[in-house]
Amino acid sequence: MDILRAEHIRKNFGSQHVLTDLNFSVSKHSIFGLIGKNGSGKTTTMKMILGLIKPTSGSIYVCGEKVAYGDTPTNRHIGYLPDVPEFYGYMTAREYLKLCGEITGVRRSEIHKRTDELLCLVGLNGVNRKIHSYSRGMKQRLGIAQALLNEPELLICDEVTSALDPVGRKEILDLLSAAGKRATVIFSTHILSDVERICDQIGVLNNGQLELQGPLNEIKQDYRQEALQIETLTPDQAPVLAAHLKALPFISKAEVSGRTVNVQLNHYEENSLDIIRLLASESIPILKYERLEPTLENVFMDVIR
Amino acid sequence: MTQISDLLPLLIPIIVLELILVITALIHIFRHKTYRFGNRVLWVVLVLCFQLIGPVVYFIFGRGDD
Amino acid sequence: MSGFTAFFKKEIVEYLRSYKALILLCVFIIFGMMSPLLAKMMPDILSHQAINGITLNIPKPTFYDSFGQFFKNLSQMGMAVLLLIFGGVLSQDLSKGTLIMLLAKGLSRHAVILAKFAAALILWTASYAFAVMIQWGYTLYLFDKLPVPHLFFSLFCLWLFGIFILTILLMSSTLVGGAYSGLFLTTAALGALIVCQFIPGTDRFSPLALASDNAGLMTGAANLHHAVTAVWITVILIVSALAVSLVVFKKKSI
Repeated sequence: MDILRAEHIRKNFGSQHVLTDLNFSVSKHSIFGLIGKNGSGKTTTMKMILGLIKPTSGSIYVCGEKVAYGDTPTNRHIGYLPDVPEFYGYMTAREYLKLCGEITGVRRSEIHKRTDELLCLVGLNGVNRKIHSYSRGMKQRLGIAQALLNEPELLICDEVTSALDPVGRKEILDLLSAAGKRATVIFSTHILSDVERICDQIGVLNNGQLELQGPLNEIKQDYRQEALQIETLTPDQAPVLAAHLKALPFISKAEVSGRTVNVQLNHYEENSLDIIRLLASESIPILKYERLEPTLENVFMDVIR
Repeated sequence: MTQISDLLPLLIPIIVLELILVITALIHIFRHKTYRFGNRVLWVVLVLCFQLIGPVVYFIFGRGDD
Repeated sequence: MSGFTAFFKKEIVEYLRSYKALILLCVFIIFGMMSPLLAKMMPDILSHQAINGITLNIPKPTFYDSFGQFFKNLSQMGMAVLLLIFGGVLSQDLSKGTLIMLLAKGLSRHAVILAKFAAALILWTASYAFAVMIQWGYTLYLFDKLPVPHLFFSLFCLWLFGIFILTILLMSSTLVGGAYSGLFLTTAALGALIVCQFIPGTDRFSPLALASDNAGLMTGAANLHHAVTAVWITVILIVSALAVSLVVFKKKSI
């Protein structure tokens, strides 16, 4: 069953059309990466799921319930973590979580236990300072604790790693992939390596709609470039090899740079043996023979082009 | 004609309250390095020179985030 | 309801830890102590200024003068302090983005407005009550008690005017964005009311009468009937401003 479904979402800010026709759904127990350039409407989309911003038209369903603008009861299923979470600096983490717990209606006896568990989980137990003295990474971790407090079925994370250093990023990504075992996670970002690290489903937001959606590994397969990289032993052998390769009918391109030949070809599976035979018959010694893996970056650049 | 000295016992609580405000403000100023705007010297001068108004303005506009 | 209680507690903690409660209480208590003293010392102060041998004939200050001084201080400086303390009542929470996560947690928007109003109302009422009690005590000690007509009504008027300011601040912050724009809009609204006072015949309906006629009501210089009209108008304005805040905030993009 789909935990989240967006149907024909349109959003204009004045004359600016941020989203033109956004349709997507997220199935339960996936980690969904929402990718897009800055300003492509990622934050707007997330705020609409939370009922904080009103879509110009279209509707969103969370766990089958329609999201109502303003106070939406669907938020009880959701945990939300913004890019830069803002807290009341004069509170301690414990006080803040207590406030959140009271708002969501967690039972009084539960709040204390949940708070302890979560502070342990995010590594803030034993920190009794006021929040205003926290680093960005600590605030982000408290943000995760806050988002997980009501044991949400859907965890919405907006650009949560963008403002962090590599250590902070790793901590947050680890926490999110752990959270992904129990909840569905929607994770928006423009950092593609983060998506490759934790997401299993992706959607690429471009021109106001989701231009590509599906399981990450399938998408990578579909966008697989048929490309090879062959490194010869000495630089003078590279042009020779390139000339021989170009003569083969299935090779579309063979470019030399130094002693490396970059090859583009069709139907690698059927033709790979011919290349090996060529290398053997011409007795060109090679250092490296590699089929290039498609990266998410290639896919992304391809889609938004 | 009333003498100011007769009223002194009644004046003391006012002075005490004003001192509380000034001292709280000064302690806060010296414990913090950053202010929403202005610098330490400005706020110390303001708080000391303008009784009542100085501390009020500091806590409303000058106090940094905490 | 749980959202209201939790957010109300948060508001109170915020007023305490941001020193706002301390300032408001101290300032109002100081006004309560200072006004009778100022009234008492006024002849001495004035006679010191009378140089060149001109003797000013100043009547001996009375019970009325003490309260006159109190109303003057509170309706001017007191209201200014009230504006400053509660100027960021909703704007700060909105402009900093601290409300987003709580709203996403399911905090109802009506609860936000009502809790903010309740907390501000309690803080204002407490400070005002302290000021009045101390003013009463000091005045009784320093002056002979005189029968004062409508004193409690006058005090009530100023209290109501304070609530009027609070609700206008709250409404302004729902209407415009920015950390201090609610404060600016309210100041502009009060400015407009002051300008309106110059239009003959309108002053009796203006909420400003609640903060300007207090002393006059005691001495009989102001018309009690007019003041009652102003009270009802102000009550209607307070309720409408609250209603507008609730409706606008419910529909606000955050």
